[in-house]
Amino acid sequence: MDFKDYYQLLGVSPDSDSKEIKTAYRKLARKYHPDMNPDAGAEDKFKEVAEAYDVLKDAGRRAEYDELRQYGGRSDAGFEPPPNWQSNSDFSDADSTRFEGDFSDFFNSMFRGGGSETNQQSRGSRGQDAEIEMPIFLEETASETSKLVEYQIPVYENGQVNEVKKSLKVKIPSGIVDGERVRLKGQGGYGQGDGPHGDLYLHIRLVPHPLFDVEGHNLVITVPLAPWEAALGAKVTVPTLTGKINLTIAPNSQAGQRLRVKGKGMKTKTGSGDMFALLKVVVPSSANDEVKALWQSLSEKAEFDPRAQWSSEQ
Amino acid sequence: MTEIVLWVSVQELCQCGGFTEQIIVEAVDHGIAHPADGGNIADWMFDTTSAHWLRKAVRLHHDLEIDWIAISMVVDLLRKNEALKRQSLCLEQQLNRFVN
Repeated sequence: MDFKDYYQLLGVSPDSDSKEIKTAYRKLARKYHPDMNPDAGAEDKFKEVAEAYDVLKDAGRRAEYDELRQYGGRSDAGFEPPPNWQSNSDFSDADSTRFEGDFSDFFNSMFRGGGSETNQQSRGSRGQDAEIEMPIFLEETASETSKLVEYQIPVYENGQVNEVKKSLKVKIPSGIVDGERVRLKGQGGYGQGDGPHGDLYLHIRLVPHPLFDVEGHNLVITVPLAPWEAALGAKVTVPTLTGKINLTIAPNSQAGQRLRVKGKGMKTKTGSGDMFALLKVVVPSSANDEVKALWQSLSEKAEFDPRAQWSSEQ
Repeated sequence: MTEIVLWVSVQELCQCGGFTEQIIVEAVDHGIAHPADGGNIADWMFDTTSAHWLRKAVRLHHDLEIDWIAISMVVDLLRKNEALKRQSLCLEQQLNRFVN
């Protein structure tokens, strides 16, 4: 087991007072807290810093730690606690949001009764909640769908961490939206002793669709139009999530215009969202001489200046 | 087939480290989450998204030792940040379809 130099982790000297320790912790906690810093490694760094603070903020624990530090903290060889070591200021889980696996072996051995069955399991603490991302295809939201969920849960036993593979079949209700969370009771981390298991949360993420974009319960489909379709109007067959519809494009339609198709969006708990057709005018990338001549003739006859607004504003 | 649940009760939250009824009331008073039913505290139920933000708030309150007013501001900004990120991704995707 490695000795943890908590003073070094907080960047303070061993004779720092409690105010200096608190200031150093707060600065590092703001920097590395996983809810504020999504970088890989930030969470582990935060756990180290929080563990150091849990020990040094409490006068009793700090005195015990200083004793341990004098005893063997400076040895290069692995740390061994004094014979019959037992902390008088055992760390309580009740006011902590962290779990046994969030602490180092050193902390668990010195301040949590060694993670042994006598101390930990008799308390019967609840297992940790877990959250995983669940990719769902847009088409799957149209009706209730069953998905296979495979994940790993860390299990802490006698100071050892083992990963347990789990697989579940889950019914995902229709009308689920991106970012929603669903809860699977008792499928998270294992409880200690008689404690219940934690829960598993599935964080729903919609897989990007090749045709549709999602805005809440509404869908957006970009509809490419030829310039003459936009100018003269047209009837266009447009795909929906469950089939096809015929869409009427009015004469003189503009690029960027959105046409609402009621009830053709995603399922909601009470009905359906809408679909919006976003018009986009596409010009052919090449033209033969005859077509070029027609464009030329159009440009002469249309008397259209798309930048007329610029000259009126100058 | 494992059944999904879309609600979390106060009792269930209180089984998680750091949660007490008093802390949940404090978080609700500061607008961090809203129970689905405003009756007795013991009967409060939270949807899973509210429970997610409650957990985050309690973690921040405990780990950063900051007061509830600051926590409610942080959670509000985190929520807005998440929503804006999602909106930005969606608009970026729409723009790509439009220009390509």
